[in-house]
Amino acid sequence: MQKPLATTRSATGIPTGRLAVWWVLASEVVIFGGLLASYLMFRLGHPEWADAAAVTNTWIGAFNTFVLLSSSFTAVLAHQAAENGDGKLAAKYLVFTIGGACVFLIVKAFEWTAEIRHGYTITANGFWSFYYTAAGLHAAHVIAGAVIMAFIAAAAAKGRELHRVELIGIYWHFVDVVWIFLFPLLYIAK
Amino acid sequence: MAQAATVETHGPSAQEHHGPQGILKYLWSTDHKVISMQYLFTGMFMAVVGGLMAYVFRMQLAFPGVSVPGFGVVSPGEYNALVTNHGTIMIFWVAMPVLIAAFGNFLIPLMIGADDMVFPRINRLSYQVFLLSAILILASLVVEGGGFGGAWTAYPPLSAVSEYNLTRLGSSLWVLAVAMEFVAFLLGGINFIVTLMNARAPGMKAYDIPVVVWMIVLASILFMLSVGPLIAGAVMLFFDQTIGTGFYDPGRGGDPILWQHLFWFFGHPEVYVVLLPAIGIVIDIVATFARKKLFGYKIMVYTAVATAVLSFFVWAHHQFIAGIDPRMANVFTVTTLLISVPIAELCFVIIATLYGGSIRLTTPMLWALAFVAEFLIGGVTGIFLGASGSDIYLHDTYFVLAHFHYTFFPIAIIGSFAALTYWFPKMFGRMMNDTLGKIHFWGTIIPFNFIFIPLFVLGLGGQHRRIYNFQNFPELAAMQPVRVAATVALIVMLVFQLVFFWNFIRSIRRGEKAGRNPWEANTLEWTTESPPPHGNWPPDEMPKVYRGPYEYSHPDRDEDYWPQNLPS
Amino acid sequence: MAEHHHPNYKKIYLTLVALLVVSVAGPFVGILWVTLITAFGIALVKANLVIQNFMHLRWEKSIMKWMLTTSLVLMALLFAGVAPDVMKHEGRGWVNVAALDAVERGVGGGHGEEGESALAAAEEHPQEEATEEDAQSEVTAVAREFDAASQYQAVCSTCHGATGDGDGPGAAALDPKPANFQDATFWADRSDEELLKAIREGGASVGRSPLMPAWGALFDQAEAEALLAHIKSFAGS
Repeated sequence: MQKPLATTRSATGIPTGRLAVWWVLASEVVIFGGLLASYLMFRLGHPEWADAAAVTNTWIGAFNTFVLLSSSFTAVLAHQAAENGDGKLAAKYLVFTIGGACVFLIVKAFEWTAEIRHGYTITANGFWSFYYTAAGLHAAHVIAGAVIMAFIAAAAAKGRELHRVELIGIYWHFVDVVWIFLFPLLYIAK
Repeated sequence: MAQAATVETHGPSAQEHHGPQGILKYLWSTDHKVISMQYLFTGMFMAVVGGLMAYVFRMQLAFPGVSVPGFGVVSPGEYNALVTNHGTIMIFWVAMPVLIAAFGNFLIPLMIGADDMVFPRINRLSYQVFLLSAILILASLVVEGGGFGGAWTAYPPLSAVSEYNLTRLGSSLWVLAVAMEFVAFLLGGINFIVTLMNARAPGMKAYDIPVVVWMIVLASILFMLSVGPLIAGAVMLFFDQTIGTGFYDPGRGGDPILWQHLFWFFGHPEVYVVLLPAIGIVIDIVATFARKKLFGYKIMVYTAVATAVLSFFVWAHHQFIAGIDPRMANVFTVTTLLISVPIAELCFVIIATLYGGSIRLTTPMLWALAFVAEFLIGGVTGIFLGASGSDIYLHDTYFVLAHFHYTFFPIAIIGSFAALTYWFPKMFGRMMNDTLGKIHFWGTIIPFNFIFIPLFVLGLGGQHRRIYNFQNFPELAAMQPVRVAATVALIVMLVFQLVFFWNFIRSIRRGEKAGRNPWEANTLEWTTESPPPHGNWPPDEMPKVYRGPYEYSHPDRDEDYWPQNLPS
Repeated sequence: MAEHHHPNYKKIYLTLVALLVVSVAGPFVGILWVTLITAFGIALVKANLVIQNFMHLRWEKSIMKWMLTTSLVLMALLFAGVAPDVMKHEGRGWVNVAALDAVERGVGGGHGEEGESALAAAEEHPQEEATEEDAQSEVTAVAREFDAASQYQAVCSTCHGATGDGDGPGAAALDPKPANFQDATFWADRSDEELLKAIREGGASVGRSPLMPAWGALFDQAEAEALLAHIKSFAGS
């Protein structure tokens, strides 16, 4: 399908794709914001949830935070490479980013398996319900982002659609920012 | 149906790619006009479903326990499912798809002089997700246990616990369908917003954009910013329903009031999400058929923005008797009364535009005028509900129901008919029969008032909502003739819709051919063929804009209209 | 435009990692406000660094900065409007008994426990007991013995009456009146199959009043039979 003329216009001066990603993020801010605001209200109103919150493993959370920060770093390096027209390098950095996502998800899988084995399931109590829902929603966004990133990396390796590297990067940084807030909310505030 | 151009220009252009033809068009086409037709016809189908639901439950109310022709005896559970899904379907599967998705998709690229939306494939995806959501909501009605009957507001614990609602499958499908519809409109909305922001024709400044396009895009932004918390809430409700979490269960550390807040934080802006496009449609039609420049274009846009902003500050007026702090109620009373001001102003600007104009009383104009009249009744009755003192009595009575039908019906039904009769020539290349159009108009408007004025009376008399049989309430039973009258009026109104369908279908096939600009209007969609070809204009003839959209009866011109794309 | 602005990404990354270390170390100091600042204050700083520099928001056109700020402001509004009802557990004229109890108990329900609605707790209906011993197992649907008497009390007695005489509080609004299980003539011409069908599929399914709902989603065949046996005990009382 050929791109319509409309897609190439830019009355605002912001390229169309990037403008769209910002709007996607605006909508995601209110989705995660709604969920986290609800969690915050409950958490502040139920100090007894501290017992459950104490169970989460801060080291695993910190490691995962480190992983996502690093993956954001490689994502922005990919953007820089794409700007310079180096599709192959950009693809390489994107693959590192996807690798970071995979590490994150694998660590999470082990973490959750251990917690569930100990009886800390999603229905165990309010804290755990929010824990799995919020982190789960985040993880779903990680998976979706990684999949889309793979497609973009494949195209970039062939030198095509390099502007999309920046776009998926912006999305990826948002996923990182959400985790930056989830980490203290779920792991440090005990 | 929208057809591809009959005259092809050959050459290295986007026109070459006509897009898929035939039946495959409806699976694969990314053309915004095809997608708009898909939304339109799905919305019209769902409107029939919603209308028939109203027929069934109003028959039950008028003749309790009697077998309803075409349905059978209505059980209490079925009654609840009917009123619940009538509301849900009318808002999410009729008003939004027709006013926003269908007309937004059709009009936005044409009115801004673009060849399509900026993301045609995401556009197609949005319809596919929407169609899936429609299938889900219809499926929810026929699965074991029946359709969800906990009201469109779906308050837990009734909605969360299947031991209470007795519709385990139906409830979960309902939540999934609504959530999926939200996703579809997020996808579509982002497309609309970015298209308007970026893809305007050269020369089209912000104040040259037709009001209806402004309104649809504002509505999309408003929707996007308000629906997020409810999406989170719906995920929580779904988990409560299916895996036994306790987000809304007080005994498990949850709180049902949280759902109320999350729902209404969206629910109130949502009514402006549907109002703004409808009023935008009316404004454009009024300008065209009053042959007069809009009275206060900029005021209208600013007012619409103010309404959208204010709409975030009024939501708890739906919860006045839910136990909220009375001091909060005071705050929300003030904000709710305040929001009536910009909306009233929009109506006054319309009236001021009419004043001194050279009125052409076509069918679309009749619908536009009826919108203003009926909506004003809805608006002023809202004052009684926005003031917490009077709301204590009126909450959950038929007064509320009549109020919101006097707002929603103009929005969803009158607005849709106005838009359909106005843009039909552009969409299908033919004119609708004006006489049949007028018969349909009067046959809809007059019975409409006979349905809902009695409901104000019933509500003031203390008749509560969501009750299956008022014969069980001795103090209300005496008003039964009023209920019967409302039901008879509804049946009359439904019968007159057959006139519309006859007119619609016949005109598509055999209507008088419309030219490019049968209404002598200014906006860009009227400069191209009817229906527009794939790509809307030949690629080397994409329009440029030289003036605003409402230069009617300009003193410097002989003709009483001045299209936007004419250099002079 | 962003294309021409590339800050030193490596420096920013290392800053982010250092901040992460501080935020993990914070709780070890043991002072609450220190923890809050290192946890959330640093989160804000890190997020800001990522947003401004990795996402290039500081070089973006202001319209998008405004829209994103609006999203955040709306979330603050949501919190401000909802917290008085959800975060607090009492207000003018209302008390969230269940939540206050939970806070007092110091346990948010533990794990593996069945939930009870606050209403039931307040009215002290006889409930299926989920015992504390069960708390050690994971939460799956705990198989419980079907207590027909208490189910009748909870579900049927509103209309059919506590003693099955068809005159429960809800019966006032019903016409025809609910079945009177004490009346021998009721039992005279009804088979067990018919009654079980009425219970599970509703009154209309056996040609009687549709006002009798279908309870099949709640009671399976065995449970319905247990209920029927219980109802029969009313006969002749």
